[in-house]
Amino acid sequence: MDPSIQQALREGEMLGGRYALQIPQVAATGQVGSRLGRRAGSSIDFQDYREYQPGDDLRFIDWGIYARTDRVSIKLFREEVTPHLDIVVDGSSSMNLENSMKAAATAKLSAMLSVAAVNAQCSRAVWISGNGFHRMPNDTLSPAGWERFDLNSTRTLDEAYEILPPKLKRLGVRVLISDLFWPGNPVQTIRRLREGAAALFVIQLLARDDANPPENGSLRLVDSESGETVELFVDATIRRQYSENLAQLQQSWDDACRQCGAHMTTIVAEELEEKLSELETIQLVVPA
Amino acid sequence: MIPFLTYPLALIALAALPALAAIYLLRNRFRKRQVSSLLLWRFRLQSREGGAKVNPLQLPLIFFLELLALLLLVTAATGPHWNLAQGSRPLVVVLDDSFSMQALHEQRSAQDRAREALEKLFKQQAPPSTRLILAGVEPRLIGGTARNWNEVEFTLKEWRCLAPVSSIDRAITLASEIGKHEANILVLTDHPPEEKKVANERLHWRSFGRPVDNVAIVNASRTAFGEEDRCLLEVANFSTRTHSGRLAVRTGSNQVQQTTLTLASMERQRFVFNLPRSENLLEAALAEDALVADNQIQLLPPIRKKVRVQVVVTNSEAAELLERALDATGLRSSISSNPELVIHHSNASTGSNAWILNWHMAAEPKAYTGPFVIDSSHPLAEGIGLQGVIWAGGAVTNSPGEIPVILAGNVPLLSVREDLSGRRFVTLNFTPELSSLQRAPDWPALLWNLLQWRISETPGLSEPNVRLGSDVILKTTGGSVVVVQPDGSSRTYSETSRQIALETPMPGLYAISWQGRTNQFSVNAHAAEESNLRSCEPGQWGEWKSDMTSRYEQSSIAWIFALGAAGLLSLHLCLLANGKGGN
Repeated sequence: MDPSIQQALREGEMLGGRYALQIPQVAATGQVGSRLGRRAGSSIDFQDYREYQPGDDLRFIDWGIYARTDRVSIKLFREEVTPHLDIVVDGSSSMNLENSMKAAATAKLSAMLSVAAVNAQCSRAVWISGNGFHRMPNDTLSPAGWERFDLNSTRTLDEAYEILPPKLKRLGVRVLISDLFWPGNPVQTIRRLREGAAALFVIQLLARDDANPPENGSLRLVDSESGETVELFVDATIRRQYSENLAQLQQSWDDACRQCGAHMTTIVAEELEEKLSELETIQLVVPA
Repeated sequence: MIPFLTYPLALIALAALPALAAIYLLRNRFRKRQVSSLLLWRFRLQSREGGAKVNPLQLPLIFFLELLALLLLVTAATGPHWNLAQGSRPLVVVLDDSFSMQALHEQRSAQDRAREALEKLFKQQAPPSTRLILAGVEPRLIGGTARNWNEVEFTLKEWRCLAPVSSIDRAITLASEIGKHEANILVLTDHPPEEKKVANERLHWRSFGRPVDNVAIVNASRTAFGEEDRCLLEVANFSTRTHSGRLAVRTGSNQVQQTTLTLASMERQRFVFNLPRSENLLEAALAEDALVADNQIQLLPPIRKKVRVQVVVTNSEAAELLERALDATGLRSSISSNPELVIHHSNASTGSNAWILNWHMAAEPKAYTGPFVIDSSHPLAEGIGLQGVIWAGGAVTNSPGEIPVILAGNVPLLSVREDLSGRRFVTLNFTPELSSLQRAPDWPALLWNLLQWRISETPGLSEPNVRLGSDVILKTTGGSVVVVQPDGSSRTYSETSRQIALETPMPGLYAISWQGRTNQFSVNAHAAEESNLRSCEPGQWGEWKSDMTSRYEQSSIAWIFALGAAGLLSLHLCLLANGKGGN
């Protein structure tokens, strides 16, 4: 693994210690865990009483009520669950843009969210797109122990989804980290990810060069994914038009998110730590 | 074109050209830049200024315009000059019009050789324009501006080489003025310049003369000598050896003299003889030699004019003084009727056109012994000295309009007035009783001056024989004058004033007709300097091309480049304004 990515994972891990994933109520389901679920369970937290029904555990009969009222009642306790976080990382080459902090920021953000999930007693999984979606090995360990964080795919997120979709957990919280730079219908992509999820957060991670078009001059632009080149003389007109295109793209994704009940925010990689408050704004994390 | 880059600074300025090219190349060099996706770089509209996909070697049109404009400006800064050919300068030709140009050598005159040289020059490198100046007695422009040899040749018909002198220096000055000190000047003559090193770098002096032997009549006159005419002929031998020949003198068909001449080298010999005044035209001729023009002369009889004088003086002593003095002059006519001069004691007008001498004899005269103030420029004072003379006269002042000629202090003794018709009124303040003037030579001289002045103012020719190039003065009383020249051509002077000066461009007999009268005068070409051909020498002096001339002849063409650059920059501006300069 690239040392810079490893360093970013370690920094993300440290950064994640300050936050905890904010679990929406609808996401309080899952395997038996240490977190109270929304259903009755076997925790020690009393929830309600109900009439005894055959088959109920005799240990939960409230003998005091039986003595006073001669009615057999059962004490109900809140169940304890473990919520889940799926981190879906766009593994295309554009996320590893040269001369930018994009790859490091992706790794740092993933690590941070992973640790924040741990802090929120959530299980988590990290999915990276490539030729299909692959779960990162050892993603249940601390991020410093992640073995691979490859951002070199030439396929878009949609293409990877078509090849091999990720096995996302139902009613889990899902976070998509991507620059969203591919042609297609954002609604379709968001709807896929949103389906069955308790919540979907879309974090558009841009390099500073993505957010701000380059200075004037003649440029030979190389697509980081396809290798296609375009030669342009950049001037004020071109810069303005680029900004308009970017805004239009962001608007289309934002509209798709609104349409599907997802939350979206944009963070510039080089300004990641300064902009983490954006994650609190969209109620993805809360301070630990 | 001279070497293009003669100015180091301009050469350095050339560095601007690669600098401009570098600016554009660097500006248009494509820097590689990886982007996340080209998705955002696909535009429906292309930029006006740029943005279009261009090939690496494509440069905008304005670059080439700027490059070319810069190149033109740098070229202009180098001060490019176009080396004008010698013939591209205007030419002013000074033609020696003196008769020595007619001197023959091997059957060809210097004029012929000069003409051929001029024609050859035109064939080799014809100048764009040519002016011709005849250097005769006075420099004179002939013809208009000639553009080719045919026009020059036509104008050269006026070059007849008949003048007694050549004013080449003044002609060169005139040529410089005409050519505004820029034209080339070519002098065609038969003698070298006075200074062999020609200082004028635009002057080319060519001589076609030859130092040939020549015998010439260099002086001739025929004057009244009593009842006869006295003739003088002077013959000179301008050769390196002794000359033997004959001088034939005849009047009409009569042989007057047949003299055998033997003249040593550069010797002159005079012949003086008398002729009866009845003889009309006298012709003298030498044997033919290199120069024909100075071998013969024609002399007409002198003009014998006398003044009709009427003396109306009551004082008998004064009258006697006058009569004796007038007779002594020999200019008084025996006829006194219809007088041309009236002498009397009063100011009363006689009512005719006669001049008046008013002899004022004062009742109480004062004797003046001098000093006398004499206007020596006046015709009446010619030869008057008044040395030791006692002049007695009245202590009066001159009347208004009278010009004093002789004064004693502020007392006018002799004064002159002229009326509107040209009549002269002479006032003589003289009392003989207390004077010694009448016994001095100044007295008859004074009267001779008076009569001679009167004669000079009478209508007619002043003299019958003149040198070639001299003006002949003709007194008239108005009307037209027709002059027939020796070659048969005539010239009419209409509405003349009282005096006209007739030109004498060629030797021979001239006939003039005026007021029903006909007169003749003779013009003779005798000029010793022109007849002496020993100083003639063929050669060339001065060159049109020199260092200074070479610089001068390279006309600057920087303005052409500057103009081209201005045009290109204007186009550049238009392209930018229309937004078409990008591609």
